[in-house]
Amino acid sequence: MNSKVLVVTSGKGGVGKTTTTANLGTALAMMDKKVVLVDTDIGLRNLDVVMGLENRIVFDIVDVVNGNCKLKQALIKDKRFEGLCLLPAAQTKDKTSVTPHQMKNLTNELRKDFDFILVDCPAGIEQGFKNAIAGADSAIVVATPEVSSVRDADRIVGLLEAAGLTDSRLIINRIRPKMVKRGDMMDISDIIDILSIDLVGVVPEDECIVISTNRGEPAVLGNTSRAGEAYRKIARRIMGEEVPMYSLDESSNIMTRFKRMLKLAR
Amino acid sequence: MSVEVLADSSNSELVIDLSAFSSLEEMKIQLEKSLAVVEKYGDEKQVCIDTGVKRLTERQLRELESVLVEHGLQLKELRNSQSCSPGPSSKCTVIDPTSHDLLEGGETVMICRHLRSGQKFFTRGNIVILGDINPGAEVIAGGNILVMGALRGMAHAGALGDEDSVIAAFRLNPTQLRIANHITRAPDGERFVVNNPELARIRAGKVVIEKLKI
Repeated sequence: MNSKVLVVTSGKGGVGKTTTTANLGTALAMMDKKVVLVDTDIGLRNLDVVMGLENRIVFDIVDVVNGNCKLKQALIKDKRFEGLCLLPAAQTKDKTSVTPHQMKNLTNELRKDFDFILVDCPAGIEQGFKNAIAGADSAIVVATPEVSSVRDADRIVGLLEAAGLTDSRLIINRIRPKMVKRGDMMDISDIIDILSIDLVGVVPEDECIVISTNRGEPAVLGNTSRAGEAYRKIARRIMGEEVPMYSLDESSNIMTRFKRMLKLAR
Repeated sequence: MSVEVLADSSNSELVIDLSAFSSLEEMKIQLEKSLAVVEKYGDEKQVCIDTGVKRLTERQLRELESVLVEHGLQLKELRNSQSCSPGPSSKCTVIDPTSHDLLEGGETVMICRHLRSGQKFFTRGNIVILGDINPGAEVIAGGNILVMGALRGMAHAGALGDEDSVIAAFRLNPTQLRIANHITRAPDGERFVVNNPELARIRAGKVVIEKLKI
């Protein structure tokens, strides 16, 4: 099977790696793809919570690599989509419980059954990061429009290049169009200027993300969320479709949509 | 063996004998070899170099010194064993300002990629970079630095002491600039954007930035 291993990484914490992994994975599964989400943030697992699958965990990634259980036993089937699975991280161990070599074997094992293997990378550039990128074909770098986040993303892209992952793609997360317009926030072009990698999507700041994360339902499932819409578009781009890039004027607000329609009519 | 330890009463010292070699290249190779032994050997931090009858130019001395620095060592003394007697009291300078250095002009290294945060590049000669130097990246050259892109990180030209070195970039917007032993940064507060190639060099003991005129 021609499967892809994508690692979602950022360097800096709290920029939305886990949210991105959950939403992209769900969006790809909505397109009838077989997807597995691998949480490599051992000791600080979150992906299961965001996916709403926390109470189903029996075995985890450390159990799999140590041979305590079979891979199939540790995979948790998503409650919404048949083709979506989660391989949770261990909470009681730490990052050193897995080696890059074991990770590589694990992803190769997963390639047999899935189209997409999305690896949620922990923050930082230490062992956890090295594990996460070990088996990856390419990387998705998440950055927010902040100088510190872009700096860390730059470091990450350098490390990825050194590890042979040269075709990294960028997701700019939590952008606020109004602030960008006022000149208070870094512009998309500024960020691309520095990082000089391909942009795969821009996700606007959205309150729905907080709600959906707390509920354990990825935002792409609903139709109300702008961020969810952006993630669905990114999933389509990853599938190779040409989808127009998010523009700062774009808004799903009913009033502005209505106004735009009126303008078009005139 | 060209490494010897002279135990003079209380303080032992490390002397590397390079008198058998005539060219700088040979001397450097031999020095590297000797230092590999020295590193295993002990905790000596200061090293003397004996060049025999050979006289060094200032630039050659700097190159030998930088080899030592790379190994975490310092040059204590340079000696001419044949011409004057070795000893801590008789400090003889063997630098010959009149002799010309054939390596002048230096080798140039070309890098065809971006240097990203956390990446560092060092060379004794000049550097040409076809790409950007991002914040957090460091470029250090013994000679000049030319960036065919944006310089946003740290650049150090003339790192071995050459004050005539320059730094030029298509977009000169560094976090810090260093030329020889001068360190500068952009002034605090207002920052204005220049969309022209610029050149930094030392003039009257200060680092000045001027428009790049060709």
